[in-house]
Amino acid sequence: MDDTRQRIVEGAYACVARRGLAKTTLEDVAREAGCSRATVYRVFPGGREEVLGATVSWATSEFFARLHAHVQGAAGLEEMMERGIVFAHRAILEHDVLQRVMQTEPEKLLPTLTVESNRIREGIAAVLEPVLARRGLAPGVDRGEAADLLARMVLSYISAPGRWDLGDPAQVSRLVRSELLAGVVGPARGAGAGEHGAR
Amino acid sequence: MHALGGTLSVLAGGAPAAAAPRSPHRVRVIDATLTCLARHGTTKTTVDDIARQAGLSRATVYRVFPGGRDEVLGAVVDTEMARLFSALGHRLGGAGHLTDALVGGIVEASTRLRDHAALHFLVEHEPEMVLGHLAFDESNRLLGTAARFTAPFLARWMAPDEAERVAEWAARIVLSYAVAPSTRTDLTDVGTATRLVETYLLPGIEALAVPTQATIDITPFGTAPGGPRRPHTRPRIDYPRGARP
Repeated sequence: MDDTRQRIVEGAYACVARRGLAKTTLEDVAREAGCSRATVYRVFPGGREEVLGATVSWATSEFFARLHAHVQGAAGLEEMMERGIVFAHRAILEHDVLQRVMQTEPEKLLPTLTVESNRIREGIAAVLEPVLARRGLAPGVDRGEAADLLARMVLSYISAPGRWDLGDPAQVSRLVRSELLAGVVGPARGAGAGEHGAR
Repeated sequence: MHALGGTLSVLAGGAPAAAAPRSPHRVRVIDATLTCLARHGTTKTTVDDIARQAGLSRATVYRVFPGGRDEVLGAVVDTEMARLFSALGHRLGGAGHLTDALVGGIVEASTRLRDHAALHFLVEHEPEMVLGHLAFDESNRLLGTAARFTAPFLARWMAPDEAERVAEWAARIVLSYAVAPSTRTDLTDVGTATRLVETYLLPGIEALAVPTQATIDITPFGTAPGGPRRPHTRPRIDYPRGARP
């Protein structure tokens, strides 16, 4: 992303953080980014809608980049999943801008966020695939399908934990070793026993 | 949200659609509305359109639904949820073993979601109407409703707490593939659903059954690392049919 584009998107994000999506105008964005309306239109010919779309996309990518950085260095598949789920769930809860927009104008955010979540799902699956390849899988498990399914489930749990308390490490450990990984890597071997077991 | 949201939220907090005042025209109006929604969505569907499609007068539609368009739309959501849960209940109640129940429920729900023309029109043209129910807190409510309804059927083969977890898990899977279909995993296909259940769900269910805070380990065999248990052994799932929920 070139500098001007980056400045406009970050400016737009600051505007959305203050006023929400509906009340952010192209003028606000230009002022915040320190450039002219004409410059904004040059970079985003689609105008306001395109700027806001790019802003949601940028914020989603930032989130995923932080998640990715956070799981680096995990000792194995189980630990990677645990770290990722705990981090992502907390990051969603603590994401002030996301929470506020979801409270006040979800209908403006969700269509874009839904498209973005497809991209994120593919990103998570792409990160998981080589880890699954190293780990070795239960008989009959297709690596690509397993990576896709795991990515889908991770997105599902972090945004809507349902009956799971993702603030409780013991529950996260149980979730990872049952609903997420039991079928993918083979039978359960007891909580806490998973990380270092080379298979 | 709006018209659809109010009703669905109320519904999500409790049991599937409560019995509403009956009229011979009620279902006719609701089915006519579904046809209109599949063609024009909510914003362009008027009471006149609904009446014409149903072959009834405007006055008759208002007699059955005094609240007009919004009340009809709310009733459509209730009815469609009730139809989905009724079909699921039929499938799950008739299942002879756990695999049957899971595959039948997943295929039934996935097929109904795939073939729902009105739902697809809304997702395509008025996504804000639908997506609100699939995200964050509202998604929690929807998963909770699905789990509360289907768990008792699964409790024939597992502890009630586990059954709720498994029901919620299956609902997550159905919703994920319904919202973002996959070319490789088509859950409306019995073979694919069976493979998914046998490969991923049954081992996960078995793992859920392993106590997390063992007090006295009286498990006779198999839970120790490297123990003799084969992958995908499922000691709990072929119990004879228990009491129906």
